[in-house]
Amino acid sequence: MIWASVAQAVLLSLTVAGLYAAIAAGLTLTVGVTRIINFAHGEFVMLGAFLTYALFKEYGVSPLIGMLISGVAIALLSAVTYRTFLARVLKQDEHNQLLATLGLSILILNIAIILWSPDPRVMHAPQLIPALKFAGLTVPGNNLLVAGIGGLLFLMMQYVLRHTRYGVQMRFASDDPELATHAGINVDAIFELSFVIGGFAAGVAGGLVALVLYVHPAVGLDLVIRAFAIIALGGLGNIPGALIGAAILALAEGMTSTFIPNGGSFGFGVAFLLLLIVLIIRPSGLFGKPSEA
Amino acid sequence: MTSLARLGCYAAIAVVLGGVSASGDDFLIQTAIGVAISAILALSWDILSRTGQVSLGQSAFFGIGAYGSGLLTPKLGVVLGWGCGLALCAVAAALLGLVTLRLRRLYFTIATLSFGLSMQVLIIVTPGLTGGSTGITPPVLMGGKPSMQLLLIAGLLIGAAIVSDIFLTARFRPAFFMIRSNPPLAAASGVPVVQTKIMAFAVSGVIAGVAGACYAGLYGYVIPEDVFTPNWNVLPLAICILGGMDTTLGPILGALLLRVLEEVARHFIGGAGYQVVYGGVIILFIVLAPKGLIGLLAQARRRHGAPR
Repeated sequence: MIWASVAQAVLLSLTVAGLYAAIAAGLTLTVGVTRIINFAHGEFVMLGAFLTYALFKEYGVSPLIGMLISGVAIALLSAVTYRTFLARVLKQDEHNQLLATLGLSILILNIAIILWSPDPRVMHAPQLIPALKFAGLTVPGNNLLVAGIGGLLFLMMQYVLRHTRYGVQMRFASDDPELATHAGINVDAIFELSFVIGGFAAGVAGGLVALVLYVHPAVGLDLVIRAFAIIALGGLGNIPGALIGAAILALAEGMTSTFIPNGGSFGFGVAFLLLLIVLIIRPSGLFGKPSEA
Repeated sequence: MTSLARLGCYAAIAVVLGGVSASGDDFLIQTAIGVAISAILALSWDILSRTGQVSLGQSAFFGIGAYGSGLLTPKLGVVLGWGCGLALCAVAAALLGLVTLRLRRLYFTIATLSFGLSMQVLIIVTPGLTGGSTGITPPVLMGGKPSMQLLLIAGLLIGAAIVSDIFLTARFRPAFFMIRSNPPLAAASGVPVVQTKIMAFAVSGVIAGVAGACYAGLYGYVIPEDVFTPNWNVLPLAICILGGMDTTLGPILGALLLRVLEEVARHFIGGAGYQVVYGGVIILFIVLAPKGLIGLLAQARRRHGAPR
């Protein structure tokens, strides 16, 4: 039954793609709008995962509610981070911006290691919805949920950016901050808003991580590397591109780990190769505008 | 810096590390070896960053240097083994430089980061050639005597400092910094942008490889996790920001001070999570003192000298 195992691997990869898309969509929104390369986005996802995990283990809060609480909490944290730290960094050159958010990422990662130890843990959440079974294939309920909520988050990002007043202001502020200021847009507040929305997506995505992956301090770094690869595939600030990039990466990873012996350890290698190939052929990503490279 | 001050600086490194080596104190010697290796790695990162290429892949060259020298020395002898190992670093670095040439900052950093992480996988999946996850046993340097090892590494550190200073002379400095701040302007001014970027990459790769080769020769046993750990990607960054980027003395002072901070952190926090000081140092210095310790010292000296 070779096609069954192929189909099974493809289906599971696609649910993982939902998770990747949720993380990458939040990241591409903040990076696309503010041009701050926020390495700490992965740590925000990790904090969301720990919060959902702790709420479930300590107080029996359903992961569905837990991930909403995580989303709100991380959105608040993003606002605080923006005001106290990132707004200052924004005035420095790109070289220092990159170094500063890297520093933030390393700081949060290690505080998490100190507080919660580097050991991975599993939430053992009950299957929140029944598994999908057809034609001899099974997709576990929680994977379905991850794909669904990931997709929903992704649509939300797209809606905000394309169909709301704030979205228009964000795109304006990003394209030409100075002109936007003259047009009466509070660029600083708009940048903060994009961080808050991106933070919300990161927190909820963290809840999804807790549902289907191990929860540990380094999980954010793992995911943010993939998210950056996805953004590069899709083009910076291009949210539909992020969805396609997520599907490509998840499928490539799923296929190597299923069909190559020991392929599971290739994780980063796959992401790296894909990224390199695409960037060599199209330096601004598959769907990016050339000027945004 | 004047050439006299530079010579004084090299002499100071030689005297301090030579003194530590002669003292015979095991703890001091081991600490000094750690600081010197970190300083060499940090210099390699700094040279590359002067062209605007923020690398998170120094662990790849550190590891290739360690594995290259470790695997080739038994076959080719020390001189040729190290030579070939370092040549391998230069080739790998030049190739990575070539493929990442057109990448803008974010993509460049991600590409170097995932390159570093892929290298570890490459070692693990080729056990026949590289020993896989069980590691290798490179010959120990200097018969395993730490005091002699320190002297050798001190010599190599001075060598790295000289290379770094050469790239800060009027011959290279303007070209490097113009590539960082405005590549089209650099190209229009007649700077060979592509060649310069790739040369910086190759030189940086070789120096990182030297640090790795020293590390591999300390104890005669290396596993992939030792040399390809992301720690070697982050450490040079923290050191350079702490000490002062775009200088030679900065990375060396930074390595010393970060080591002290790290020991303090280990004392209070324990083995896991001590890297919290890296993050703290980077954030504090980028926001408050982007020029690092060297910048603070220069500022203090100016203020002190102002009344006259």
